[in-house]
Amino acid sequence: MTVADLVKTFTFYEILVGMKATITVFIQRIVLRNRKAITLQYPHEKRDLPGTYRGMIALLKYDDGTEKCVGCDLCEAACPSRVITVISAEVEGEPMKRYAREYSMDMTRCLFCGLCVDACPVDALAMTKEFAWARYNKRDLRLDKPQLLALGDRNFPEREKKLEFQHPNVAYFNIGHKNLPSKAS
Amino acid sequence: MDMLVFAGASVVKIAVVMVTVLLTVAVLTLAERKVLSWMQDRMGPMEVGPYGILQPIADGIKLFFKEDIIPSGANWLLFSLAPIISLIPAFIGFAVVPYGPNIEIELYGVTIKPFIITDINIGILYILAFTSIGAYGVILGGWASNNKYSLLGGLRAAAQVISYELNVGLAIIGVIILSGSLSMVTIAEKQAGGILNWNIIGMGHGLGIWWWIPVTQVVGFVVYVISSVAETNRLPFDLPEADSELVAGWMTEYSGMRFAFFFMAEYANMILVSCIASVLFLGGYHAPYPGTLFPGILGYFEGIAWFTVKVYGFLFLFFWIRATLPRLRYDQLMRFGWKVMLPLALANIVITSIAVYILR
Repeated sequence: MTVADLVKTFTFYEILVGMKATITVFIQRIVLRNRKAITLQYPHEKRDLPGTYRGMIALLKYDDGTEKCVGCDLCEAACPSRVITVISAEVEGEPMKRYAREYSMDMTRCLFCGLCVDACPVDALAMTKEFAWARYNKRDLRLDKPQLLALGDRNFPEREKKLEFQHPNVAYFNIGHKNLPSKAS
Repeated sequence: MDMLVFAGASVVKIAVVMVTVLLTVAVLTLAERKVLSWMQDRMGPMEVGPYGILQPIADGIKLFFKEDIIPSGANWLLFSLAPIISLIPAFIGFAVVPYGPNIEIELYGVTIKPFIITDINIGILYILAFTSIGAYGVILGGWASNNKYSLLGGLRAAAQVISYELNVGLAIIGVIILSGSLSMVTIAEKQAGGILNWNIIGMGHGLGIWWWIPVTQVVGFVVYVISSVAETNRLPFDLPEADSELVAGWMTEYSGMRFAFFFMAEYANMILVSCIASVLFLGGYHAPYPGTLFPGILGYFEGIAWFTVKVYGFLFLFFWIRATLPRLRYDQLMRFGWKVMLPLALANIVITSIAVYILR
């Protein structure tokens, strides 16, 4: 131990360095006023979420108001937490076309990984920026199809155009191009 | 009649001091959160009132109306007694602190000292004795809760308070040797005449122009401040209520007003410790310049203002240290207390007493 080390020990040098750091921040905040808090007053002001934010999952519609979902069950297969339940059915009178008769998500289990969105062949699923979904009743977090569609309507005001070559009978061949509409901020 | 006037005046003084201390506690609860947040790039409480200045009132109302829970396995008597044992010694020490100059006024033929509640000739001993009782509140509360975290916190508090109270007692002996008195008022009076005569410098004891150097109480002051931080169970020595290890230590099972009592005791202890440090080492109500700027009554209040500034300076130091330093490990705490602070305090006593013996 050198003399310098001894002097440092007896004068609490390291502690004083740390205390200088905190008082510097304090003076910048209170006296000089050139430093701002990095925290936000959450309910009053909110962060700008990035476009890739993975919030609540929504079902989308085409611009003519028809559902994009073709009831293929791939999202259910992709989901690691078994959030999604799809009951698929034929469209009346069109034996080649299917749709999801029932589509429900148990959001209490969802871990917001986005695998269902990736798995969807027709880009019918998307992740919104909604996250403040605390509920008093756990069952309110089991979302059915109308709720999921409403989420989509609310967060994606511009809908994808339904392409001409998409004959209803071959809709499941319509591989998505991952050109999801931009989210409402 | 004389007795009545004296008692009335004493009650008024006690009431003023109690209200001031309680108000300071309320201010401190907010000030600590605000100062900490300013030092840590946060905002602190902002919701209640403008910039959160009404937060202490909201906290008080909340604690007052909270359910008073006594755990089923707890020792009812000691569980109820512990917060009171903790709170009363914290407030009782303020009785002997000189808040202003030691003047006397005549009121209906009775001599009254307006800025001093009482001047007992063993004032500092009295404070030390009562703050030691405060540790029983912590220990009993920890044991009576019937909770392992509380018990661990109480045990830690016992070991820590005993170790560091020794250092507090030894650190102030240098000041007592220099002043030749245990009375807080006498100790404060002997430091009159500017910053150089304060005990932390120590030139005010008539030992000549150079011979004040061996009696300077810087070491005693540093040992006292560090030990008092430990004694009030605050960071970096907050092992008894280490949030990240023992839920809330000895306060785990307490809620409502019982918890508020412990909380008030902690902050009152902080204020008391700051008052003692100001009086013993920083000249109490004396200004850093000789005499007072204002004559007469204003001069007395100037003294009180300087005392307040010093006390709040210490309290800010408490917050500052809390914002800066992480918690010590338990063996580090004990080693620091017994192997560093204790020898330093003892050396301070030896050097001061030899110097005073030879030079006086």
